[in-house]
Formats: sequence, C-alpha cells, structure tokens
Amino acid sequence: MPGKQDYYQLLGLRRDATQEDIKRAYFDAAQKLHPDKNTAAGETELFLDVQQAYETLFNPKRRAKYDAVLPPEEKIKLPYQYNLIFSRSSLGHMAEPQMLYAILELEAPPEARLSPAPPLNVCLVLDRSTSMKGEKMDMVKATAIQVLRNLRPQDVLSVVAFSDRAEVVIPAAFSEERSRLEAKIQMIQPSGATEIYQGLEAGVKEVMRSLEARRVNHIILLTDGHTYGDEQECLALASRISEKGIGISAMGIGQEWNDIFLDVLATRTGASSAFIAHPQDIKRLLLEKFNALAQIYAEELVLSLALQEGVDLAYAFRIQPDPSPIVLDPPLRLGTILQDASTQILFEYIIQPKAVKSDLTDILRGTLKVSIASQQLPVPPLQLHAKLPVSETAELNPPDERIVQALSRLMLYRMQERARDEVRNGRIESATRHLQTLASNLITQGERGLAQTIMLEVDHLQKHSALTSEGSKKMNYGTRALLNAPPKKE
Amino acid sequence: MIVCPNCQHKNVAGALFCAECGAQLDGVETLVTQAITDEQIAEDLKKKSVRPDTVPTPANSWISLHLMDSGKILPLASRNEFTLGRLSEGQPIMPDIDLTPYQAYASGVSRLHAVVKRDADRVLVMDLGSSNGTYVNGRRINPHVEESLSHGDILALGKLKIQVLLRNI
Repeated sequence: MPGKQDYYQLLGLRRDATQEDIKRAYFDAAQKLHPDKNTAAGETELFLDVQQAYETLFNPKRRAKYDAVLPPEEKIKLPYQYNLIFSRSSLGHMAEPQMLYAILELEAPPEARLSPAPPLNVCLVLDRSTSMKGEKMDMVKATAIQVLRNLRPQDVLSVVAFSDRAEVVIPAAFSEERSRLEAKIQMIQPSGATEIYQGLEAGVKEVMRSLEARRVNHIILLTDGHTYGDEQECLALASRISEKGIGISAMGIGQEWNDIFLDVLATRTGASSAFIAHPQDIKRLLLEKFNALAQIYAEELVLSLALQEGVDLAYAFRIQPDPSPIVLDPPLRLGTILQDASTQILFEYIIQPKAVKSDLTDILRGTLKVSIASQQLPVPPLQLHAKLPVSETAELNPPDERIVQALSRLMLYRMQERARDEVRNGRIESATRHLQTLASNLITQGERGLAQTIMLEVDHLQKHSALTSEGSKKMNYGTRALLNAPPKKE
Repeated sequence: MIVCPNCQHKNVAGALFCAECGAQLDGVETLVTQAITDEQIAEDLKKKSVRPDTVPTPANSWISLHLMDSGKILPLASRNEFTLGRLSEGQPIMPDIDLTPYQAYASGVSRLHAVVKRDADRVLVMDLGSSNGTYVNGRRINPHVEESLSHGDILALGKLKIQVLLRNI
C-alpha cells in the first residue's frame, strides 16, 4: 500500500531496480539503521519503514501491486551537485579515431560546509621493520601520539605495528587511559623484515570492529620498504575491503619502498599514495591526511560505466582533491567529495569511427553511487547519460578553459609516467628523450627544482640505464603535486 | 590526426596536447614554426656584427643579448637562467625572454627555443629541441646539450641572430 513515502526513494533505488539491487539496498540501509546499531533518535522508526519497503518491493507480486498505484516518479533531489564538461561540443564525422576529454565535477551542497565533521574509524598501520630504526621510527611514534591526542570523543583510532608479523598496539575499542596508550606507542621497537600483508590484515580486523556507514572507515599505511611476495594478497585484500567502504591511504617514507605497488594498492580503494621524502615531513603529512579524512562529505564514489562499442575510456585521473590516477578496472573508484572543495575527475576517451555513425554518440552512460555518512537514508544512484552530436565540420570553438588548464599540468605527470614505463621496458633512448622534453616543459612552467631533478635522472639513466629510486619518486609525486599548485604564470 | 607543430608527432584527432612533447595543439594552423633553410642562416650570419668592446653593459647584468637586426640590447640580471622563445597566446609554454617583438616568428624561433644560464664561471647555452635549431658562430649545436659561450659569440635561434655580451667573463 503506498503510504506517505516512496519506497524506492526510501531505499535509494531506481524504479527499474532488480531483485539483487533491492536486497543490497536493504542490507546497506539495515547496517546503518538496525536497532542494534543505530544511535540517533528516530532511526528505529526509519528502520521499520525500510523494513516495510523491502518486504513490499522484494516480493514481485506485492511490488507489482505497489507499482500500479504509485504516482509518477518525481525528480530526485541529489544531495550533491554534479557537472560534466566536454572538450568539444560535438564529434566529427571522420574515418580515423578521435580523442575527447571530459571533466566530471562533483560538489557538496553549500550547507554541507556547516555540517559537523564525520566521526572517524581509522587504523594506523605502522611499519616497524629494522630499516625504520632511528629518526623515521621516532617521528612515526611521535606523530601517532599526536594523532591520539587530537582525537575527538566520537572518533575511533587503532594502531597496528608490523614487520614480518603484526601486533595490535591499540585495539579499536579502547577504554584505557590515554597515557597508558601513549606508553604503548612509545614501546614499539623496530626489528624484522617488511611484510605489508601482515600489517594490513591486522589493520582490517581492527577497522571492522567499529565498521559503521556513518563513519569514515580508513586505513593509513606507513612503510619504508618493499614487501616480499605478498603483493597479490595485499591487492586482493584491498579490493575486498573497498567493497565494504574501507579505504587505504599509503604513505611511503624515504627511497626504498615500491611506489608502483603502493599506488595500485591505494587507488584500488579510491584513495591515494603519498611520498614522504624526509622523516621530518612525517608529522605534517600524516596530520594533513587526518584533517582531510575529517572533511569528507561523501565517500565510496563508485562509477559503473556501460560504454558504447567503439567508445573507449583510455585514461582517468582525479585532478582534485588529492591528485591521483584512477584504476580503469570497472567499477571506477573515484574517491571522495570533501565538504568545501569540488572533486574533479578527468576522462580521456578514444572514439573509433564505427561509434560515430549516428547523429548522437553515447559518451558516458553509467551509474554513480555515493555514500554520505551524515545522511540517514541511502543516496539514490545518479544515472549519467551524456551524448554528443556528430557534426560534419570541424569544431571551431576553443575547448573549455578548465580542461586545458588541467591537461597542461596533467601532461607533465603523464610524460614521466610514460618515461618510467619505457625505462622498465628497456627503451632507454626514448625515455631519455621524453624526460628531456619534460624538463624543458617544467622550466617553462617555472618548476626549476623539479626540472633539475629530472635532468639529474637523465644523466643517471644514460650512465646506468636506470633511474634512481629517489628520483623516480620525486618525479611521480612532484608532477602530481603540480595539479594542486596554481599555475605560476599569470 | 593532428601533426604537432613542435615535434611532428602524429596525434589522434581531438587531442589538445601533443602526446610526445607536451605542446598544446589547438589552433595548430596559425602556430606552426616557420621552416627556414640552413643556407639562409649561413648567408644571414655574414652580415655585420658589432665589436664587442664597444657595447656598454648595465652594471649588474651577467649577460646582455644584442639583437643584431634591431640593434636592441637586452641586459639580463637577477636570475642565473633564462629561457628564450616566443610567447603565443593560450600556450602553457612561457619563455622567460619573449622574442616576439624582434621578428621571432618570421625568423623561425620556437616557442621554447633555448636556455642561457650561468654556471660557476661559465655561461652556457642549450637548445631545447627547437624546430630550426640553435647556432653558435654559425655551427649548429646539438639539442639538449650545453655549450659554453664566450663574449662576442653570435647565437642564432633559427634566423634570429643575437650577439652575446658577457660581463667579467
């Protein structure tokens, strides 16, 4: 029986939802609202409504009856704003492939700035292998204590230390006095090898203890070394926990860690990796990370795309916040929306001639799912459907300024990305040329320091046919950071 | 397909930046660096040059560029490194010294042509992969390789001739 509320909206479902969608939506809502778990007033009543909605919609007979008397769908009001910009307003009719860029911009509504910061459920997973000994370990410990002191009553923090095995230093549900917890952190002693999986697994267990949809559930991994042999297990774990809404931010200290691995590990969950060049930066960067987590408005941005044949997504990159490549394996995990900054994702498409037959070409068809911790009800998925007309003549309008801006910076990151790839594949000559070009481009953009780093790498490359571990990280993260910086020219 | 005006790399139609060299690609037709021949350069180099010791240089500059066609002298100071090229609208590439007022386009100067820098007691020039090359006293220098400069040397960016005036070196 249709009551005051639309059952579909209540569960965050579209009217053409499948049985599977309904079940999943119900479980998601129940996780948040179940009387055993809910905290806010009125949530139990809401749970009963959700229960009724589920029972109605999941039964095909009752659903048909409900649908028959349901008023037409109202325009769903989304709890966030979005905007899609293309580099061109039409595609050309041509016999060769063409490239198209798009920026998807997502933003919290203005009132979100005033909403309280979401409660955190964070596990610090700290490398305590022998190589951490000295300043690195001391800084990590001091920062962990600082984080502990900064915690608000609603936050949950756990700390795991690992080498070739892991121990829980501070469990997720702590009740001990703060001074005792601080002493426990102080007692972490470096020894042993680095096995990241051990640390992650223990960290996941701790986060799972307080896993709640209204919290920001996150693991921060700090390491200074390569992990041995357990990379695949780590990645599989990252994929599994990202489904549960847990992100992994990875921070590598010094030169000896594997940035390619940590980057994949973090981006699989929609988060990112960071490079800490000097131990004295540990504190600043880790505290910044915590601040960013506390500013999250929406998380678990998951984009499922159904692309038309011949329309290929060739590249995706989060321009802001937290610039990072995005793994192209579906579904795409785009990261988060912060309370006071827009999220911008850049897409690069290659469109084959066969896709440009009709007057309109489907460029982006897909569903964006978002989870908003401060909202009681699930957010209805956003159906994206963008088409571009096909024109006979070439497009004359200049491309959107924001796309040009973003690309002029992103191109620098991509040049080093490619050069590093070439080095790995033994194409030294080509890599050298690309790095030289990159250095010239950096000089013109006023980035002399980074240009110099790259020229030193070119020297090293010519002598040893390899890049230095430090230099390649500086390039990787230095060019990413340029996306954050305002352009130096006026 | 779009051919990059800077490096001749063939890019997919619709690309906004060259995949090979990073140059911006829109409005390509008007931004091609004009091609000139070596013969033209050699011939032009035979024209007059001033005697180095007759030209005054301002007090704090370590290098002055004497643009031989216009007679204009640009003293450079405050930094140890300057890129030379030609400004074009909407480009991410910004030379420190814009040679547009000195017929840079017609002379075949690339948007980012060369860099001059001071290194300890030497002054160096490096071609940044320009289309028409950089010449020191009529000899084409290899791109991306530093060459030292002496007082009075004639530098040519494409056809644009610049006499290098150094102070105390």
